[in-house]
Amino acid sequence: MTTLPVDKTTVEHTSGRSPLVLNHTSFGTVTSEICRVNEAKKPPFAWYATMAISSCLALMLGLLIGYLIITGVGVWGNNNPVMWGFPIVNFVFWVGIGHAGTLISAILFLFRQKWRTSINRFAEAMTIFAVICAGTFPGIHIGRVWLAYWLFPIPNQMSMWPQFRSPLLWDVFAVGTYFTVSLVFWYIGMVPDLATLRDRATNKIKAVSYGIFALGWRGSMRHWHRYERAYLLLAALATPLVLSVHSVVSFDFAVAQLPGWHTTIFPPYFVAGAIFSGFAMVLTLAIPARELWGLKNFITLRHMENMAKIILLTGTMVGYAYSMEFFMAWYSGEVYEQFAFINRAFGQYAWAYWIMVSCNVVTPQIFWFKWCRRNIWVLFSASLLVNIGMWFERFVIAVTSLANDFLPSSWGWFEPTWVDILTFLGSFGLFMTLFLLFIRYLPILAIAEIKGVMPEANPHAGHDHDHDHEEVKS
Amino acid sequence: MNSIDTKTIRMGGLAPTGVVLGGLVGLGGIAASIALGADESGWTNFWKSYIFAFMVITGISLGGLFFVMLQHITRAGWSVVVRRLSEGFASNLRWLWIAFVPVIILVWSGEGAVLYPWADPVVVQNDPVLLKKAGYLDPTFWSIRAICFLFIWAALAQFFVGQSIRQDSDGDVSRTRRMQAAAPVGILLYGISQTFAGIDWVMTLEPTWFSTMFGVYWFAVSLTGFFSCLILLACFLQSAGRLKGAISKDHYQDMGKLLFAFGVVFWAYIGYSQFMLIWYANIPIETGWFLPRQMGPWKWVSLLLILGHFALPFVLLVSRWPKRWKNALAAIALWMVLMMIVDVYWLVMPTMSAKAVHDATNLMELVDAVDAGTLSVGWNLTVTNFTALVGMLGLLVAGTCAGLWRCSLVPAADPRLDESLAFENL
Repeated sequence: MTTLPVDKTTVEHTSGRSPLVLNHTSFGTVTSEICRVNEAKKPPFAWYATMAISSCLALMLGLLIGYLIITGVGVWGNNNPVMWGFPIVNFVFWVGIGHAGTLISAILFLFRQKWRTSINRFAEAMTIFAVICAGTFPGIHIGRVWLAYWLFPIPNQMSMWPQFRSPLLWDVFAVGTYFTVSLVFWYIGMVPDLATLRDRATNKIKAVSYGIFALGWRGSMRHWHRYERAYLLLAALATPLVLSVHSVVSFDFAVAQLPGWHTTIFPPYFVAGAIFSGFAMVLTLAIPARELWGLKNFITLRHMENMAKIILLTGTMVGYAYSMEFFMAWYSGEVYEQFAFINRAFGQYAWAYWIMVSCNVVTPQIFWFKWCRRNIWVLFSASLLVNIGMWFERFVIAVTSLANDFLPSSWGWFEPTWVDILTFLGSFGLFMTLFLLFIRYLPILAIAEIKGVMPEANPHAGHDHDHDHEEVKS
Repeated sequence: MNSIDTKTIRMGGLAPTGVVLGGLVGLGGIAASIALGADESGWTNFWKSYIFAFMVITGISLGGLFFVMLQHITRAGWSVVVRRLSEGFASNLRWLWIAFVPVIILVWSGEGAVLYPWADPVVVQNDPVLLKKAGYLDPTFWSIRAICFLFIWAALAQFFVGQSIRQDSDGDVSRTRRMQAAAPVGILLYGISQTFAGIDWVMTLEPTWFSTMFGVYWFAVSLTGFFSCLILLACFLQSAGRLKGAISKDHYQDMGKLLFAFGVVFWAYIGYSQFMLIWYANIPIETGWFLPRQMGPWKWVSLLLILGHFALPFVLLVSRWPKRWKNALAAIALWMVLMMIVDVYWLVMPTMSAKAVHDATNLMELVDAVDAGTLSVGWNLTVTNFTALVGMLGLLVAGTCAGLWRCSLVPAADPRLDESLAFENL
């Protein structure tokens, strides 16, 4: 095992492709190093500490939902005219987070970005948990939660049907499909790794439980062949979903006539913003995870740098959309459009607007500098700021437009109640609890896929090109 | 690994032939357009044809510039063998500004109303909406912006094409690094300039209309044209015995994928989002732009775009085999160029009198007036449209051949050339 200076191995040189996995020359050590996360007798102390906090918060979420159902939606700050307060903001925020996983696993797969293999598994897990959090909010916003199944077009003797012209119904389909496909994609990708954990299991319970989910995987040529085909097809199916989900979410706003909501750039702008926030969340989670579980050989600085570049790219796209909206509001010559944007920037919610702009547009610009892309503390702080900024983006869109629409006589002011704030906090508890359980019990990195991007996986690996007997190492 | 037959990496006699023929067709086409352009309504027909044809070749060349910068930004390996051809298209941006000078002179001199209604001060004074945006739609400011865009594109094309060609002879790898470093800034400048060029030159043909999506739509149009032309150029050169062993089925498959992704699906996604949101909200100032496009002959053009620019190529390109079958892919690419041209025509030509819309009490009144021929929707398929288009395409051929005349058809000293030759699409 040789240790190369970091710069030599984590930077893409013009002379050739650098390795994606550091300090490993055989597949066996890769397996054991990753499985160590699940096989350790006890996880690090930080796991217990975060788990304690997160599960308490998740419990609080449950209690607050109970309180909401017993009392009614009045416990929230939603009012007239701001009928959509925190629930929609949190819904869009969590759906947005849920975009990075499928982007990494599907779109980067189709673009042959091999570096994705080290981060795709937990990004997909994050996606699924984020969509669960997202789905909670519209579910409890409907008031009578026991009638939530009315969201679905189920034939019934009352001839009651959902409104097919409403984008909220499209959301049910879009998010439902997205969740299903992401889950299947995540699970199918995990099958070979579950089999690895099954084979390495030290007791009967583990062997049987991993064995059930490994679906009898034996790693035969035929298994691999079908697996690869299924993976490619699922990637192709998931790709349009990455675009469609947040496009449909953007329709919730953009089909309305409300100034600040109705603008044609919303679909791609929301998608870019979702990828932006999703990657920020991946960084937020990956940085502590690679420290705590010693995964720096797999999630290298180069992975960090690539993610920083995507954040810079999507952050700039979001900035483009903000500027385009502002410009068109002026260019349109429409008084209400112009007012909506002036009001955002200088009105009663100006603080939220400027938090949004400074976090989402200004912060990512530091990633023009290589030093910032390679400094863990800068990356971590920036990722937190982006998460904050993206939450505020949804707050600005949802609240400012509703609070000050066409008629000054119908203007209002929105203020969240303690239930609003604690419910949002509780959703983080749910998210983190699920994520911590995932880290403990499932393969956190895609073991089989990582092996595929190592030079050793190439059939010509170790081949002595110049016949000087120097390159071949046993 | 494929190996290139080095005897076939130059255009040789094709280049001068292309330059001369393309140039003759180009100048002939423009001359014919001028000769035929004026009709009873003045020079509008000529200028509209001119801007339509100019936008077609600008879109294709801009797509080339974007693709080249994208390959550097991502440090792509697979695409090295087709990068020089893209640089050939991008190199047109070094002279395209000349073709836009007449339009700038027209607008600057105050005669622009023949093309852009906002260039007429009387019209602006009588329209409260236009009066509000007079600061932006000001002939001088508009011209300065146009000069900036054209300058940015020419400079970027000069840099990326120039560095790449110089690397062929000196083999200096630091040029690759320099281009990689410059590409992000280049893309940023490109994004801003191509958006506002689309807005300034096409969207303001209907000065009261606006759409925040327009820049993105124009980007999709441009990429459709470029990816189709790239496939056509590669096929043509290989059938003429050039680039033997350089561009393989695997490269064609990838170019086909890009055409499918950007020219078919992304285009439809952007076009649908723009239309659906405007249709759903149904605000008159926005729907006005779509009104003429769904009446009279334009409704058939709109349907043709939905079917021909999306549905048909979607079915044709979704499978693997047509993308790997060179002749089939070339035929699809040719169709897609045609569709891109129809799309630009559909963006530029339709018009409807604002007064007629204002006076109408319902939609059917307008439809009936259009069907009876008493209300114009700007449907005026003239010979000038074709002569201008053929002329501009001739100039595109001449310019691309000139760009590739004295250099190798692959970036011969690119450090990732071997990777590109070894590329297999698994």
